[in-house]
Amino acid sequence: MSDAQSVSRRAFVAASAAALVGLTHKGERGVRGGFVEDGGAAGHRLRDNASLGPVRERRRLPLVIVGGGMAGLSAAWWCEKHGFRDYLLLESGDEAGGNARAGRNDVSGYPWGAHYVPVPGKQAMLARVLFEDLGVLRNGVWDERTLCHSPQERLFWRGEWHEGFEPMLNDSAADRAEFRRFQDRLDGLRSSGEFTIPVSRGRPARSALDALTLAQWLDREGFRSRALRWYADYAVRDDYGTAARDASAWAGLHYFVAREPDEKGPLTWPEGNGWIVKRLLERIGTRVRTGATVRAVSRPHGGRVVVVRTEDAEFTADACIWAAPIFVAARVIDGFGASPPLTTAPWLVANLTLREWPDERGSAPAWDNTIVDSPGLGYVNATHQRLSRPGGPTVWTYYHALVQQTPLEARRALRAMSWRDASEFVLSDLERAHPTLRRVVERVDIRRYAHAMARPEPGFLSAPWRSALAASRGPIWYGHADLSGLSVFEEAQDQGVRAARRALAHIGRG
Amino acid sequence: MAAALFATVCLIAACGLVYELVAGALASYLLGDSVTQFSTVIGVYLASMGIGSWLSRYLTRGLAARFVSIELLVAVVGGWSSTLLFLAFAYTESFRVALYAIVAIIGMLVGLEVPLLMRLLRERFTFKDVVANVLTFDYLGALIASILFPLVLVPKLGLVRAALGFGIVNAVVALWSTWLFRGVLGAPRALRIACGVVLVTLVGGFVAGDKLMAAAERGLYADDVIFARTTPYQRIVLTVWKDDLRLYLNNHLQFSSRDEYRYHEALVHPGLAALPAARRVLILGGGDGLALREVLRYPGVASATLVDLDGEMTKLFTTHHDLAALNRRSFSDPRVTVVNADAFSWLDAHDDTFDFVVVDFPDPSNYAVGKLYTTAFYRLLKRHLARGGRIVVQSTSPLFARASFWCIDRTLRDAGFATSPYHLYVPSFGEWGFVLAGVDPYVAPTTLPGGLRFLSLAQLGPMFDFPLDMRAVAVEPNRLNDQVLVRYYEKEFEQINR
Ligand SMILES: Cc1cc2nc3c(=O)[nH]c(=O)nc-3n(C[C@H](O)[C@H](O)[C@H](O)COP(=O)(O)OP(=O)(O)OC[C@H]3O[C@@H](n4cnc5c(N)ncnc54)[C@H](O)[C@@H]3O)c2cc1C
Repeated sequence: MSDAQSVSRRAFVAASAAALVGLTHKGERGVRGGFVEDGGAAGHRLRDNASLGPVRERRRLPLVIVGGGMAGLSAAWWCEKHGFRDYLLLESGDEAGGNARAGRNDVSGYPWGAHYVPVPGKQAMLARVLFEDLGVLRNGVWDERTLCHSPQERLFWRGEWHEGFEPMLNDSAADRAEFRRFQDRLDGLRSSGEFTIPVSRGRPARSALDALTLAQWLDREGFRSRALRWYADYAVRDDYGTAARDASAWAGLHYFVAREPDEKGPLTWPEGNGWIVKRLLERIGTRVRTGATVRAVSRPHGGRVVVVRTEDAEFTADACIWAAPIFVAARVIDGFGASPPLTTAPWLVANLTLREWPDERGSAPAWDNTIVDSPGLGYVNATHQRLSRPGGPTVWTYYHALVQQTPLEARRALRAMSWRDASEFVLSDLERAHPTLRRVVERVDIRRYAHAMARPEPGFLSAPWRSALAASRGPIWYGHADLSGLSVFEEAQDQGVRAARRALAHIGRG
Repeated sequence: MAAALFATVCLIAACGLVYELVAGALASYLLGDSVTQFSTVIGVYLASMGIGSWLSRYLTRGLAARFVSIELLVAVVGGWSSTLLFLAFAYTESFRVALYAIVAIIGMLVGLEVPLLMRLLRERFTFKDVVANVLTFDYLGALIASILFPLVLVPKLGLVRAALGFGIVNAVVALWSTWLFRGVLGAPRALRIACGVVLVTLVGGFVAGDKLMAAAERGLYADDVIFARTTPYQRIVLTVWKDDLRLYLNNHLQFSSRDEYRYHEALVHPGLAALPAARRVLILGGGDGLALREVLRYPGVASATLVDLDGEMTKLFTTHHDLAALNRRSFSDPRVTVVNADAFSWLDAHDDTFDFVVVDFPDPSNYAVGKLYTTAFYRLLKRHLARGGRIVVQSTSPLFARASFWCIDRTLRDAGFATSPYHLYVPSFGEWGFVLAGVDPYVAPTTLPGGLRFLSLAQLGPMFDFPLDMRAVAVEPNRLNDQVLVRYYEKEFEQINR
């Protein structure tokens, strides 16, 4: 290859980009992809109360766990840890993991939902025990390869990428002053001791901050900086799938102040929390059954046993851990009573497989890449944790919590969406930061969550149904992130393990 | 006749658009940010065309001769435009001035062409046909050019020759017009001679296009460029001036043949000479084979593995006559194994152990390279170290990048090594530093291999002593999740460049 040729080759790249400017050619070379199974069918059969098939299998056993999300898996992990293996975990999906499920293709593993765990501080004891178990925490030192590599996050703002959110939050003198005041406020709240992770460790009941929305709190405190307001709203959309105008101020502030990491994080893996799922499943072995949707749960004989019914099997157990969402419990558990007043957030997650990194301006690619003033939440890069030099094909996971409409309307819109509409939405959002995206994208695979998580609306902390379920005396114990109201890893784990402790004590194995 | 006339319109439209695209592409290539470059170039070009059209009203007499002269001017300015721009970029500070001036001149000339041509044709066709046909062929020419440009011209000819080629087309149109308009032309002879001269120079330039490109690149470096290649990882440029051979990677000097022996002797011997039993050596980076040359001085070394990302580099330093001479054909030594892979992943995927490891990576100027300077990387390296083994790390300048240098030392210590930092003076780099690291404390060698040009046993002691302005400073270790080194380095580099 002569020198002139190599120069012209580079110029060719520039020129083709240019030809685009001149000819406004939108070269979308046949993007492939589709919707992945979202559990909607099983869910609707439940809702429509379709009739059950004949029982092909009957079993008597001490414990049944319903739901194989992080909470159910954590309950099973706790059992295994205490040498108790006489249980069965029933999961309706064709794979366990729930909101922490992952996918994989030739390029990389990638998350379909939960993708990180903030570095657990000293108070998040259970999480530390788990990570010691998994070899991520050794003698008090976190595994460097699992900690998110630099640069962790960047923000697309004013036409280019900036490392971190600080440049935007400190843009003008007024912004800077408000941001500093905001941090001072957070420091004050932190020292109040009201915000703990998991929530069950603290005694926050009836906090005045749970009576307001986050937006009302920001108003009350006089925070007007557009950048700061956007940032606060982004944080609650990202964590709880709920806008600042709908989320409890307590929940929103919890995000900022509850964690006291002793290390720069978070913990992350190419397949996100799917890595934890995989490692837990290795321990649980054959005691998990997938494709097993629990259709009915009853408590005959004065509640001394629990009968758990799937499409074609019936299990009679001394104890049952309900680790599936609470709105499902109301439909399935006999005598549960009315569905508690809780709303759930619809989400859309897209995995984009890229031939190569598209064009962009500004700071280097980060793990978490956010576009300011976008309806979406940006994307995380699945190959970020690779040790080798960046480059080559990659997978991006794009997140979008549908907060622009009411959950009901958004769910309807989500269901009505064609794959083409959905992928067009994702591509045109990301295209603002990456003009040549369409030329490098190979697949856009999309997962729709009609009911991803409970929304922490004002009053959620002191909701009576939550304390009632938490105080259950068996033989059904409830352990799901819904019980805490904050859908994050630590809460799901805490709820699952709490339920497991009680169930084991009940059957005399704890 | 009519067909010939309208073909002329088509051709001149194509030429005009090609010059515009050449200018836009070149500006994108040299300055980056193609959207900005293209929009400003197109804007200036179109505005200038407007000015040209407006000016056309002042041309009243001798229209045909004027038309031919304008054609010739377009041929000269447009044809040489990319050459001029490359030279302006290489030799002057005012590339943008040249860029917009050239674009404006071409735009004005092209803006003059079409109104003049329409007026010339008005005498032969009805006005409505003139307008319809001229505009049709004008747009058609633009379409052809815009398709040819990215698909054929740039990949096959390159920017310099694409412009020259269309300059030739313009000159041919001029010559041909002297026949088309022979009825109304006063003195076609003089014009035809002028056309001939322009054609000859443009054809000459077209044939010598490669050399022109090379000349432009020479201007970027002080010395003669004898080799340049863009690999998937970097741009490799070799320059020579008298007996000084220099290697640049992405415009950063890697070595000068005049003093590289200082750097490479100091990199290898303080560590390796202290390990008389060393048999297996690993070199990470160092695709120039110069550290390898020093390693191969030891007859006790039974195998040397060199891991460098860029296969083009190792190939170049194996096959290029002068370069292979510089590393004394070390890549052809039977003890040597070359691996072209990313060092981090390679170490992660293998479990061979080595007695001595030379870590010679580029400076930690970005996060991608910075990973190779982290506690995680050094911990991994430790697993590849045989008992009693030692590694040496090129650690930037303890004088110009003091915090960076001591950060590398701190990082190695955090990874569980005992370190011995040292430094020396390399004229083409300035004060430079390395860090020796091992599990056991370092003991200096008592003999050195023969044939060295810089290092002596007496010289060793002072190298490990740091003058006051290079002494250790308090720094954080560099870790995958907190690459402080890249930030130190960036800050220190900014200060030097101020
Ligand atoms: C898109 C997205 C991104 C997220 N990102 C993060 C993140 O990065 N970090 C973080 O900490 N948290 C994140 N979360 C929050 C996440 O929800 C929690 O971390 C956690 O995974 C919740 O676990 P869970 O077990 O409580 O609930 P779920 O994951 O909802 O698990 C419930 C399980 O029950 C099963 N099930 C339901 N009905 C039945 C039935 N009738 N019979 C049998 N099984 C049934 C479901 O299939 C599911 O597997 C994210 C959530 C979403 C939606």
